[in-house]
Amino acid sequence: MEKSRHSIRFIEEKCIGCVTCLRACPTKAIRVVNDKARFDEERCIDCGECFRLCPHNAIVSETTSYADLKKFECTIALPSPVLYSQFGYDVLPNQILLALKKIGFDYVFDEAWDCELTTDALQVYLDNCKGPFPQISITCPVVVRLITMLYPSLVKHLVKLEIPRESAAKKFRQKAASSRGIPPEKIGVIHITPCPAKMISINHPVGLERSNLDGAIAISDIYGPLLGALKDLEEDVILQLSSGIGIAWAISGGEIMGIRQENCLAVSGVQDVIKTLNDVEAGRLNDIVFLECLICPDGCIGGSLTVQNRHQARRKVRRLIKMFGEHTRVSHEMVIRLFREGYFNLQKEILPNPLPPLDPEPAKAIQKIRQRDEILKTLPGKNCSACGAPDCRTLAEDIVMGKASIEDCVFLTLRKLSGNS
Amino acid sequence: MAANDRLVQEYIVKGWDFSRAGEASCEIKNTLKQIGISAEVIRRVAIAAYEAEMNVVMYARQGIMRCEMDPQQIIITVEDEGPGIADIELAMQEGYSTATPEMREMGFGAGMGLPNIKRNADLLDISSTVGRGTKVTMIFRLS
Repeated sequence: MEKSRHSIRFIEEKCIGCVTCLRACPTKAIRVVNDKARFDEERCIDCGECFRLCPHNAIVSETTSYADLKKFECTIALPSPVLYSQFGYDVLPNQILLALKKIGFDYVFDEAWDCELTTDALQVYLDNCKGPFPQISITCPVVVRLITMLYPSLVKHLVKLEIPRESAAKKFRQKAASSRGIPPEKIGVIHITPCPAKMISINHPVGLERSNLDGAIAISDIYGPLLGALKDLEEDVILQLSSGIGIAWAISGGEIMGIRQENCLAVSGVQDVIKTLNDVEAGRLNDIVFLECLICPDGCIGGSLTVQNRHQARRKVRRLIKMFGEHTRVSHEMVIRLFREGYFNLQKEILPNPLPPLDPEPAKAIQKIRQRDEILKTLPGKNCSACGAPDCRTLAEDIVMGKASIEDCVFLTLRKLSGNS
Repeated sequence: MAANDRLVQEYIVKGWDFSRAGEASCEIKNTLKQIGISAEVIRRVAIAAYEAEMNVVMYARQGIMRCEMDPQQIIITVEDEGPGIADIELAMQEGYSTATPEMREMGFGAGMGLPNIKRNADLLDISSTVGRGTKVTMIFRLS
């Protein structure tokens, strides 16, 4: 079976056809047809806004289940630094890593350290980058999808550096395979994730032929077992290698925290990201060297698969940054060597994948826009969504594209009925 | 037929309305994406249209931004009721700006507006009457 292009799924039996999700969708990918919400695979960027807001739990995320781990001979956990922010104020990263080990992972590695490594690599990359500026982070798979689809002219701004979870997965799979003497494919490398979108970057990676990760388990799915395991930790080895620089990747502004250049910018939240990308496209942010864009509010701690209040989580991250310091523990010489070895190279060029125009022929597309604008004039402009499209303009467009009819408008139909009676 | 594959959209741009500044050029850009104009042309239009729109926001009372497109070309005209430009040649020079300290504080007034439009449009025409207003016409060829 072909792997889903998306990390969310709508459950028809639970959907009552309310319009909460379609109004929240930033790319207008959702319609309600016959009282059921459905989404356009082409337009969905996996931001998770619908998933967050559905009042009926009719939208589920497709992450790896705990039971899936059984199919591997050996498992490696790579937790997002966000995991460190999800427990009580005094629970430390090392305890959390030990707890992951206790619940059954054969190896647990501190992904925050690889983030730290990437911070230093990013510094080297930016020092040598000739533009175009701003260079835009590729850490958030939703932002990458948003750019390739809706901002194709900005694709060349994307940073050409492998993301930490991928480079880490590759490295640790090889290490584990050689130390255990088993084939690399028998090892399951699992990311512990704050958001469902990581699944799309695993199933449909960009910049890579194939993801180095075998799956992603939701923080919310693994939280209970971890809480239990934290109670009586027996083993006491040091698994945490990162300083505050790596841990900071959990929050908005984390990627740029360890960067020397002052003209870096961090943006989070879907609407702010869209606004900022519009500014980049208008040439408004040319003086910015590096732009960190994360789709979730406040960064990855705002992911929809987290359990902790994100403001509380941010407080915890700040505490950890203070505690473990803002001095990187990564050796710069090692980063330079890894750079030479191609450790940070993307395997594949990231290409634009723009949404198709209203018509392949520009002349016809123009006609369709004219028709849409004519229809729009006849609609009430209340943007009530009762027709099943998010707003009047989208309904007008759907009518032109043959996907809806003018009778779908509740107001016009009511007017017609009362006129006839 | 000829009139049918021509699209005209008009936007009112208010002077000194910084909170909505850039919306008209963003709308134009989104329309171009729906028509399937190449990313390279869209980038040029986005930059030039934004600069022209900002000129209205910064200097004029009000302006009308008009975008006419057909499969051959995109014509954007921005006509404002404003102070006008006394010396257009001077205004075209990089770095020349009449921005107030306030505008500069907001990050504008680098004197790159008109030069930036010129660099990105295939054709630029500016006519202006001091005390009345300015009309900026830019053309982007598609074929």
